Amino acid sequence: MRSPTGESLQRLRIFLSNLPASAYIFIMFYVSIGILIAISFTVPRKYVVEWSFTLENYVRIFTDPRFLSPILNTFLIVTVATILLIIVGFPIAYYLARVNPNLGIKLIFFLIIPVEVNYLIRVYAWRNILGENGFLNSLLLSLGIIDKPLSFLFYSWFAVVIVLIHEWLPYVVIPFYVNLVGIPRQLYEAAMDLGANRWQIFTSITLPLVKPAVLTVLFIVFIPSLGEFAIPSLVGGESGIMLGVLIDRYLSDFRLAFGAALSFILLLVTMGLSILMIKIFGYEALYQR
Amino acid sequence: MAKSADVILKVDRVSKRFGETWALRDVSLDVYRGELLVLLGPSGSGKSTLLRIIAGLETATSGRLYMEGVDITDLPPYKRDTSMVFQHLALFPHMTVYENVAYGLKIRGVPKEEIDRRVDEVLSLVRIRELRDRKVTKLSGGQQQRVAIARSLILRPKILLLDEPLGALDLKLRKELHIELKRLHEEVGNTWIFVTHDQEEALTLADRIGVMNEGRLIQVGEKWDVYDYPKTRFVAEFIGETNMFTVSIDDVSGGVATGSWKGFRVSFKDGGFRPGETIYLSVRPENLHISKEPPAGEEYNVFHGVVDVEVFRGSYVIYHIRLDNGEIIRVTVLSKDAEFDPGDRVYVYWRFDKGVPLRE
Ligand SMILES: Nc1ncnc2c1ncn2[C@@H]1O[C@H](COP(=O)(O)OP(=O)(O)OP(=O)(O)O)[C@@H](O)[C@H]1O
Ligand SMILES: [Mg+2]
Repeated sequence: MRSPTGESLQRLRIFLSNLPASAYIFIMFYVSIGILIAISFTVPRKYVVEWSFTLENYVRIFTDPRFLSPILNTFLIVTVATILLIIVGFPIAYYLARVNPNLGIKLIFFLIIPVEVNYLIRVYAWRNILGENGFLNSLLLSLGIIDKPLSFLFYSWFAVVIVLIHEWLPYVVIPFYVNLVGIPRQLYEAAMDLGANRWQIFTSITLPLVKPAVLTVLFIVFIPSLGEFAIPSLVGGESGIMLGVLIDRYLSDFRLAFGAALSFILLLVTMGLSILMIKIFGYEALYQR
Repeated sequence: MAKSADVILKVDRVSKRFGETWALRDVSLDVYRGELLVLLGPSGSGKSTLLRIIAGLETATSGRLYMEGVDITDLPPYKRDTSMVFQHLALFPHMTVYENVAYGLKIRGVPKEEIDRRVDEVLSLVRIRELRDRKVTKLSGGQQQRVAIARSLILRPKILLLDEPLGALDLKLRKELHIELKRLHEEVGNTWIFVTHDQEEALTLADRIGVMNEGRLIQVGEKWDVYDYPKTRFVAEFIGETNMFTVSIDDVSGGVATGSWKGFRVSFKDGGFRPGETIYLSVRPENLHISKEPPAGEEYNVFHGVVDVEVFRGSYVIYHIRLDNGEIIRVTVLSKDAEFDPGDRVYVYWRFDKGVPLRE
């Protein structure tokens, strides 16, 4: 048995060797969040922080309809984008994993390439497609389907959803692909042997077994997207405004207390949702069937 | 057996090719109603492929299948009256025991009350009624085994196909389940085709055994027949233990062929042989006898040698005897008669008609 002093020496050594990393995380993460939370309870002032406690910021956010709508908008946009992402991404993954697995194994790598392209470049590409003088409008005009450019295509709610889908699609296809490939072929054969046709196999075996991928998508796409500010501020215009844009506006306008309050609300919401999902499905659901 | 006349499934010259490999070559087989047929063969011999073709999960490259006289070659699996218990069970991991077992009936739209009744019935049959609401991922190997069988049995298939269903279990549990499976087969009374590469399992379970090798069905028959009268060296060596002698025949007369094997003279029943022919003679260790004195009588082949090794197996003993020509042969003796020690000089002998001459 080790002597008590030896043991505490050991502990001290472990503590000291972990200190730099812990300190880094603590200062860069928790302390800054602490400061943010503290500031959110101070009196709204421009340029300065006046250290006196008040709930004023929060009261305003929850009573003023001008704030409520971007918050709801955020949820709506992200929810719609996530649902569409699954609707688009799942069939692609299904095709690559089950219908044409030989192609799938080659093609899945190509899905990762767009991720490497800077999103600014992608945003400009979308402007060229969706903008007032963009490809889509020119096409529709020259075909005579419309007689003046469609304006809702760009600087809009619609554009945010489109660009979000483009941004996140690989992150949806890949988890579904990995999940689907991992389902043993024998399960499908057993179901077929027990009398199920293709559709019944799909609904009774495939769908329930891709729950882990759905959860992964919720965690790596839905929740992070709630804080998105680059895409809505670049392509969103007024109808595509999101909480992130609002926070950015207040912070760059040096209305720190207010920006901090909005940030804290966002933080609480994403944390709450994460905890809720873990409570409902359990940690295991992410990797276990 | 009276039921022998009643063929429920006829496999007619079925072959299957995967790319360059022939998994099955020209397999023909009659399966009788109510029997437990075991397909036995080493890994890669085509057992699973044959079973999957019968189940409809694989299509034959050539050949036809008939069930009760009807050609089912092109029917999809869900229209066949067969059900398969898979090599790795393939239980649905997101479902409970009940949901797994009820699956086939639910797919068919059977009313809930009837499903409940039949699930209870079949779970009692395989003796896991108390596990009804457990997740299948939370069961032991033996319990999962029973769920897999129940899931198929509940559909009352005309033919139950079992692909090495005990493969993943330990020896003791396997042996227990062998007895239970036999009981179950008696109780249910339908036809089973059971695949295994374990000859002991085959001998325990089977009514009839079909031996496969390299995609061919080499021999099918009552298990005693296959054991006592193997058709080829492969069958003789794969089922049970045997001593194999390569004999050049030099005399055939009066229904007895005689030849020499490494300096010893051996005689056996003539099977239409000609002098000059070389055959393989298979003699089971339990048909050999040892004694310190030479046996009296003309009907024996007699070798002479020294006891080399004695292997104690509980109820019996295996002696390895080094013969005077330097070869080793194995003899089994009941433990109560095992009175020899390594180093003893002994005679080894067997009756002419206990040797099985094989051409290939
Ligand atoms: N889907 C497939 N594609 C290519 N080759 C296959 C396929 N299925 C089986 N084979 C080949 O066919 C041959 C027979 O395989 P099969 O699975 O029927 O053997 P088995 O007797 O069941 O063996 P085991 O005891 O190992 O299960 C093997 O050579 C195998 O490699
Ligand atoms: Mg197999």
